[in-house]
Amino acid sequence: MPARQGRLVRFWRRNGAGYMFLLPWLIGFFGLTLGPALASLYLSFTNYDLLRPPQWTGLDNIKYALFNDVKLRHSLSVTFQYVIFGVPMRLAVALGLAMILDRSVRGVGFYRAAFYLPSLLGASVAISVMWRQLFGAEGLINTLLFLATGWQGPSWISHPDYALWTLIALNVWQFGSPMIIFLAGLRQIPEDLYEAASMDGASGWRQFRKITLPLLAPVIFFNLVLQTIEAFKAFTQAYIISGGQGWPADSTLFYSLYLYIEAFANFRMGYASLLAWILLLIIGAFTALAFWTSKYWVYYEDESR
Amino acid sequence: MTNKMNRRTFGGLLLGGAAASTLASVGAYAADGSVRLIWWGNPERDKRTNAVVDMFQKATGAEVLPETYAWGDYWQKLATQAAGKNLPDVIQMDYRYIFEWARRGQLAALDEFVGNGIDLSDYDPNQLASGKVDGKLYGISLGANSMSHVYNKTVLDKIGVTLPDQTTWTTDDFVQIGKDLKGKLPEGMYFTENMGQYEPRLQTWMRSKGKDLYTAEGKLAFDEADLAEFFTYWKMVQDEGLSPPADLQAQDSGKMEESMMATGHGLFNFLHSNQLVAMQKLVPDEIDIVMIPNNGPHAGQYLKPSMFFSMAEGSQDKATAAAFINYFVTSNEANNVLLIERGVTGDASVRAEILPKLNKTEQKIINYLNVVSTHVSPLPPPPPQNAGEIDRALRPAWDEVAFGRIGPEEQAKAFYANAKSILERT
Repeated sequence: MPARQGRLVRFWRRNGAGYMFLLPWLIGFFGLTLGPALASLYLSFTNYDLLRPPQWTGLDNIKYALFNDVKLRHSLSVTFQYVIFGVPMRLAVALGLAMILDRSVRGVGFYRAAFYLPSLLGASVAISVMWRQLFGAEGLINTLLFLATGWQGPSWISHPDYALWTLIALNVWQFGSPMIIFLAGLRQIPEDLYEAASMDGASGWRQFRKITLPLLAPVIFFNLVLQTIEAFKAFTQAYIISGGQGWPADSTLFYSLYLYIEAFANFRMGYASLLAWILLLIIGAFTALAFWTSKYWVYYEDESR
Repeated sequence: MTNKMNRRTFGGLLLGGAAASTLASVGAYAADGSVRLIWWGNPERDKRTNAVVDMFQKATGAEVLPETYAWGDYWQKLATQAAGKNLPDVIQMDYRYIFEWARRGQLAALDEFVGNGIDLSDYDPNQLASGKVDGKLYGISLGANSMSHVYNKTVLDKIGVTLPDQTTWTTDDFVQIGKDLKGKLPEGMYFTENMGQYEPRLQTWMRSKGKDLYTAEGKLAFDEADLAEFFTYWKMVQDEGLSPPADLQAQDSGKMEESMMATGHGLFNFLHSNQLVAMQKLVPDEIDIVMIPNNGPHAGQYLKPSMFFSMAEGSQDKATAAAFINYFVTSNEANNVLLIERGVTGDASVRAEILPKLNKTEQKIINYLNVVSTHVSPLPPPPPQNAGEIDRALRPAWDEVAFGRIGPEEQAKAFYANAKSILERT
């Protein structure tokens, strides 16, 4: 079929080089992402224990997850708390600091770098270890509290009432990447809008509500989606700080941590695969929800409304 | 996580070639393959093991690539490697796991190497038997140990208290001593760490009452009331102020350097006897070791194999792996470095060689095991599948009691039901 062949040749001439450039990524995507993902979908329906070949168990895993798994429910609630409190707080801090750094003060470059630094360190083991020290019974936080108030605080990191909050604080502290994105967004807002507003006598707070927030909405939306996904997947901090077990008393048993324990400590790789797929569905649902609500509060400048 | 790959391999090979032609003792260990070795441990064990690896390489020209992890990461790492069909040739094994790993076809039976690469003629047959699964030898015990209490002797001597006879003291004595010591201990130090979180302590509790954790059939060998008693006792110890408040105790995430004893918050600590060596390195004061107080008429403790060396079924070079195990277990030069850090060896001639060379701390372990060995009950049957999960469930369950979120009896009921359902799960 010469016509078809001709089309193929034309397609290759036009796009071939592009696909060649894409090739490494494509290999990675199919080999390292899609392949394992599909394998894990299959394993979700088996009793794979890492040591023996998997056996098909049908809906057993799903039934257990839905009706019997108390820990699954508990770990979900821990993760939800982390997301629901951690993400908005992180975004608020990031936005606040971005607005401060948006002004041209002396040495602003230095401050930007300094505030970004914690995020560069990221979800590293070293930071988590440091956090343990900071919030321990004899840690820096308690020493300062004692000096300031004379009150001897508990070990925040190992008390079930506070441990999760130290993790949320760690999450908030690493506000650098959303901050940078907010900064870029703030630069996009035309200065004359603020000038006009202040001539009309609008207060700073009113300017923030009526100009900054609406015009920044797409960026806020972007950050919200990204940070939510990241928070759902949080693992390293909880793993290090909780002794790898969600201690104390399961209070920091994140969903991702529970999944890891099921897979590698309890040798239930099949069940853990199902847990991974459940997490994917939950993140998907949250993202879809964010997109659905976005039409009511996100305004794009090229939209006519 | 630590992952120490050997950087001395190249030099070792060079030196090995030279040494092989000169050393007389080489013949017995001659091998020139390459094997991987994995163990869990602590910095002290890593140091000694790496030294023996070097010596073996120099003596034989074989290559050994060592990897080490902390206990908590070890089993996860091993499972991952097994799934990738990439297990190291020589694997340090624990009594808790050896049955599961052997029955799942991951370990090689060592019987064909006994007397044919691995010389066990001087090895105590009783200790050897603990590495048998379904009649075949899957692991060679690297030493015997037992559970124990260790305490800060310097502090206790300064106060002028002597402990009662360790073979007959009871949990009531233990609490009474703690109460008597109140107000006399250094600032910030409590009488004992809280042991309500430890599965081995729970086991001695049950055995002292003539029960155990698990039956040979893999069912629970105690009942709810026994567990309630255990939780109630340790909650009382905490409420009396003999052990640290819950949040301080919970800072211990299972690393020895975070233990109440190492951080100066505990006079008494729970340990396996071979760990005394590592603990003494962390505590400036002198520490000593005694038996666990009884809560019943039966002997709660037993002598257990501290750990094994096993061989991967998938090993490509079983001869070299066997040669390494043989060198590690039976050679005097290796054991002069290893001493009893992994427990007291079952090889009589090696024991005769190293006993005079032990330092004061190590001598204490020997003396301790001599006392213990006349007051023990037999090795319990191997724990059932999922016993590890029950072990891990105990700490959070205890934490809830310690933080006052649930009463000891209520928690005993909940934990018992949970343990039963874990055992029933596949």
